[in-house]
Amino acid sequence: MPQPVKFILNWGRRYSLWVMNFGLACCAIELIATSTSKHDFIRLGVIPFAHGPRQADMLVVAGTLTDKMAPALKRVYDQIPDPKYVISFGSCSNCGGPYWDSYSVTKGVDQIVPVDVYVPGCPPRPEALLHGIIKLQEKIAKEDIREKWSGKLTQPAVTN
Amino acid sequence: MASSPSQLSPTEIAERLRAQLGKDVLASGDVHGHAVVTLAPARLQEAAGLLRDDPDLAFDFFDFLTAVDFTPKGRGFEVVIHLYSTRHNHHVRLKIECDADDPHCPTLSELWPGANWFEREAWELFGIVFDGHRHLVKLVLPEQFVGHPLRKDFVLMSREAKPWPGAVEGEEIEE
Repeated sequence: MPQPVKFILNWGRRYSLWVMNFGLACCAIELIATSTSKHDFIRLGVIPFAHGPRQADMLVVAGTLTDKMAPALKRVYDQIPDPKYVISFGSCSNCGGPYWDSYSVTKGVDQIVPVDVYVPGCPPRPEALLHGIIKLQEKIAKEDIREKWSGKLTQPAVTN
Repeated sequence: MASSPSQLSPTEIAERLRAQLGKDVLASGDVHGHAVVTLAPARLQEAAGLLRDDPDLAFDFFDFLTAVDFTPKGRGFEVVIHLYSTRHNHHVRLKIECDADDPHCPTLSELWPGANWFEREAWELFGIVFDGHRHLVKLVLPEQFVGHPLRKDFVLMSREAKPWPGAVEGEEIEE
């Protein structure tokens, strides 16, 4: 694909990210706070909130994923049309967090869906999510969509 | 807590139960202003009926039911039932001791519909069978889950790989 066309496509994608709110716990409050007027991620082109997975471009998993909830996450992810991106927001969705030894908590949503950006924190502040979104946009800017669709997973980014 | 004129003291609640059940009230006490009464399992439903229907007691609200695993201390399980009276503003906590190997407890779901889900939860998390319960199936755990995760002998895979880094239940904390 010619370089200018690729740039235009990636530019369009990175500034029009309709976000699917997959809020599962207290992290969801920080995600919602990021969408409201003070932090306002619309200025980064992230549009809250998609009416359903079929309208979404980006999935933010915010909170504790349990083994019982995991099939629902997989289903929502599968319903999002390509190209799609996943941000894992908070310690629980990154790795299980304080529930690392629980009998019911999935130890990281990356066991269920591929993750593009991990945002650490318990819960992370809205600024951390803004940083994660910028990291994701940098990643989308460098993306080759043919490579993405070829099934080769790209390296996830970690904010800190 | 403001005491209403019709409120019964923990001692009075225990005495009412003792008058009905005699020596099947195994123990009674006063914890933080609540009556705590240990009953013989065979007469739990009778005692619960008295607590609900006696106009002076009138325990109309089933607050919660839970269980405690005392098997590491050689005692088996203990079912804890907390009742509250919205009319008289008094509490009672009933305790039933169960066998460690085959724990059973009579159901209270026929008396208070609110007991239904608590008993299902205690059944799946502790493996305590509530005799007479009409629908004892899994409530919060995934269907394919095997085992009773709140039992002390339940194996946590993560802790098998990496033991708990701190003190366990305060036992190793030095004075």
